[in-house]
Amino acid sequence: MKAIAAFILVAAGLAPLKWKFERSIDANHLSSDVLHHAIDLRERVGQTAFIAILGGFRSVVADLLFIDGHFAWERVDWSHLLLRLRQVTMLQPHVTMFWDVAGWHMAWNASTAALNDTSLSVAARRRLQREYIELGRDFLERGVANNPKNPKLYEALARLYRDKLNDHARASENFLRASRLPGCAAYDERSAAYELSYCEGREHEAYDYLRALYDRGEKERLPTLIARLRHLEEKLNISPTTRIPAK
Amino acid sequence: MTHTAIHISRVTKVYRTPFRRQATVALRDLNLEIAPGEVYGLLGPNGSGKSTTLKIILGLISPTRGSVTIFGRDNSVVAARREIGFLPENAYFHKFLTGAETLRFHAKLCGLSKSKTTARINELLAAVGLTDAGDARLSTYSKGMLQRIGLAQALIHDPKLLVLDEPTAGVDPAGSRDIQELIASLKNRGTTVLLSSHLLTQVQEVCDRVGILHRGRLMREGQLQSLLGIENQTELILENASPDLLDGLEQQIASTSARLIVRRKPQASLEQLFLKVTESTEE
Amino acid sequence: MITSLRRIRAIAGTTLIELARLRVFYVLVLFALVLIVSSTFLARISFQQELQVTKDISLGAINFFLSLLAIVATAQLLPRDIEDRVVYSVLAKPVPRFEYILGKFLGVVGLLAISLAAMSVLCLVVLHLREQSALHEVNRQIEQLAPDQLSSTVRVIHTAGVNRDLIAALVLVLAKSAILAATTLCISAFATSNIFTITAMAMVYLIGHLESIAREYWLQEHVAGWPKRTFLALVAFIFPDLQAFNLSDQVIGGVPIPAHLIEQLLGLAAFYIVSYILLATAIFYQREL
Ligand SMILES: Nc1ncnc2c1ncn2[C@@H]1O[C@H](COP(=O)(O)OP(=O)(O)O)[C@@H](O)[C@H]1O
Ligand SMILES: [Mg+2]
Repeated sequence: MKAIAAFILVAAGLAPLKWKFERSIDANHLSSDVLHHAIDLRERVGQTAFIAILGGFRSVVADLLFIDGHFAWERVDWSHLLLRLRQVTMLQPHVTMFWDVAGWHMAWNASTAALNDTSLSVAARRRLQREYIELGRDFLERGVANNPKNPKLYEALARLYRDKLNDHARASENFLRASRLPGCAAYDERSAAYELSYCEGREHEAYDYLRALYDRGEKERLPTLIARLRHLEEKLNISPTTRIPAK
Repeated sequence: MTHTAIHISRVTKVYRTPFRRQATVALRDLNLEIAPGEVYGLLGPNGSGKSTTLKIILGLISPTRGSVTIFGRDNSVVAARREIGFLPENAYFHKFLTGAETLRFHAKLCGLSKSKTTARINELLAAVGLTDAGDARLSTYSKGMLQRIGLAQALIHDPKLLVLDEPTAGVDPAGSRDIQELIASLKNRGTTVLLSSHLLTQVQEVCDRVGILHRGRLMREGQLQSLLGIENQTELILENASPDLLDGLEQQIASTSARLIVRRKPQASLEQLFLKVTESTEE
Repeated sequence: MITSLRRIRAIAGTTLIELARLRVFYVLVLFALVLIVSSTFLARISFQQELQVTKDISLGAINFFLSLLAIVATAQLLPRDIEDRVVYSVLAKPVPRFEYILGKFLGVVGLLAISLAAMSVLCLVVLHLREQSALHEVNRQIEQLAPDQLSSTVRVIHTAGVNRDLIAALVLVLAKSAILAATTLCISAFATSNIFTITAMAMVYLIGHLESIAREYWLQEHVAGWPKRTFLALVAFIFPDLQAFNLSDQVIGGVPIPAHLIEQLLGLAAFYIVSYILLATAIFYQREL
């Protein structure tokens, strides 16, 4: 017994060393830059436990659940679909397609279905629609937290803010984030600028941005860009000498 | 300076089982001294503490109190075990090894050099009568063969002290005699032997001295003959005596101060001693 | 020193022979091999990248079966030796208990290395074949693809196929199962049945994957209440961080693994193994045989 007690004492002295060692490794892990910040405890425990139990079969199980979710969509069983999407994204948090589809199902399909559900009062429909959009937003936010280096989910999130929530500031922000990542779409930067141009009180900022894009050359001078730029030139009373040349 | 082979001084062993309040006292204040070259038999019924004593000697378990030295050295140092060979009770060894492989494995554990090992293995297989079975797996061995390979394994490094836990248990009479002969031949070469048994008849011939253990206490100790002899009694064993002669003798005895205790056919008496010793402590 | 090494080698060698005769060993390896081969079929019906899913399943199967083998094989070593009294005849020889425990451990590691080699060869062959057929497909469509598109497609296939990081991940699977074997020895050094050992190890396996979370909460956050704090500290102190050895997400995602990370992980594995072997020896010294 004495030997064990002595051993535990020595080991307790080593504990900080153990933790330091483990943390320095953690810092280099793919999952860790994600796990340490944005994701809440329950989700982290769930994900990690799943990884431990299912190992490499996560992908297979996730696929099966995803198929089941698809059938739920065909049956128009939204709560079942939601459950499956939650499970799938929990199992495969690094497959961005699942987050993308989950966000789309909730914010577009389920929310529209809610709005057209004649069995409910108008107020209830609106509330339900709003809730589904929030669920979609939540999926995409968490997808982004799990995959901070993938531009696709930022783009999806930006579209959701733009089309479903009319939140141009957030939409612009997310397009901008996407545009800074490798593999982003060519339109990300322009979209960020367009969205900014709709924000009340940020016209100067938006104008500078659009103008900078314009000045990059022919490739950026698309009709929408020119139209937004003209609109802001009017609004801000830009002096005629510095305005972009008329056609 | 010459040492005793084994010196056990006031050893007490208490087994504590976790989650159970009651502790088993397996040995109480045991003192034992075994001289070099002696064959000592530790006798006692099952559960009397024989195996516990032997395991403490080998350092497999540590005594709760007391100390043990082997040839003057504390038995807890690993080096003390270089001089000891041990045959555990009911050992099966690695069933998937052959007899020769078993001996080779134990030779490596003892640090025998490769060159010596093969010769030693053949020598020992011959000594225990397993030359033909040396290449058979232990899973095919009978109980008697297992005990013999166990003896060979204990002897692999030519130890000065041999400790055998129930070497004859479960072995048929012929096998038991072979084992006794082997022990006798080791004794002739000066090896000290400590063996345990719950059957006295199986070891009575080879032991110089025996100790009788009961409930963790050493009840009696000494040479078999003197232990068995009852000082004030004399036994006559007659052959072909007529009933008349016997009746006459009986009458003659009755006229003296002597008393005839029993008139019967002779029988082995070892078990009686056993019973007498153990009964006296029965509550 | 040399005789000590000889003794350890003798014990390890005998242990390896003993383990290689276990039926469970063949069942597990066979299972893993079947899974690796069938992974390509599972991958073909998947929504995710085919090569990546093949790799995920193969790596997962190897990881799972090697971990299971490490636990099951190690759990029965000491009980069996005690039952057959082998432990008495061995420890009655001039063999320190540390050498006995280390020999047993090395025997298990030998078995794990052999199993890993068998499974890895098959896994690499399967992946290589899939990779070749994917490249073949690209070559067939070569006319339709723009040059930069072509090179990026080929690069994606290569990162998803056989590469250095995959080998590193396989080596780390061995390190992880060796840690599990050392931990199992600790538990079986005091356990009275191997069912208990295996059940306890199932918990160690699960909690070991969550250790990093407990550790971060203990070190960073201010969790209220001493029962919770004590619990977190104990988990972070006793258990190995098994999740750290899971590089499959990285390998499958095609994120390159830095060389120093692999070195660090091997160092961490050595640290765990030495600690647990010493603990197992300390527990085994106390054991009444
Ligand atoms: N490991 C152990 N734990 C608890 N009790 C034990 C243990 N080994 C032996 N005992 C107890 O100690 C006593 C002596 O046992 P033992 O030395 O094996 O006797 P013998 O060899 O004479 O049959 C018995 O009552 C037995 O039940
Ligand atoms: Mg006994």
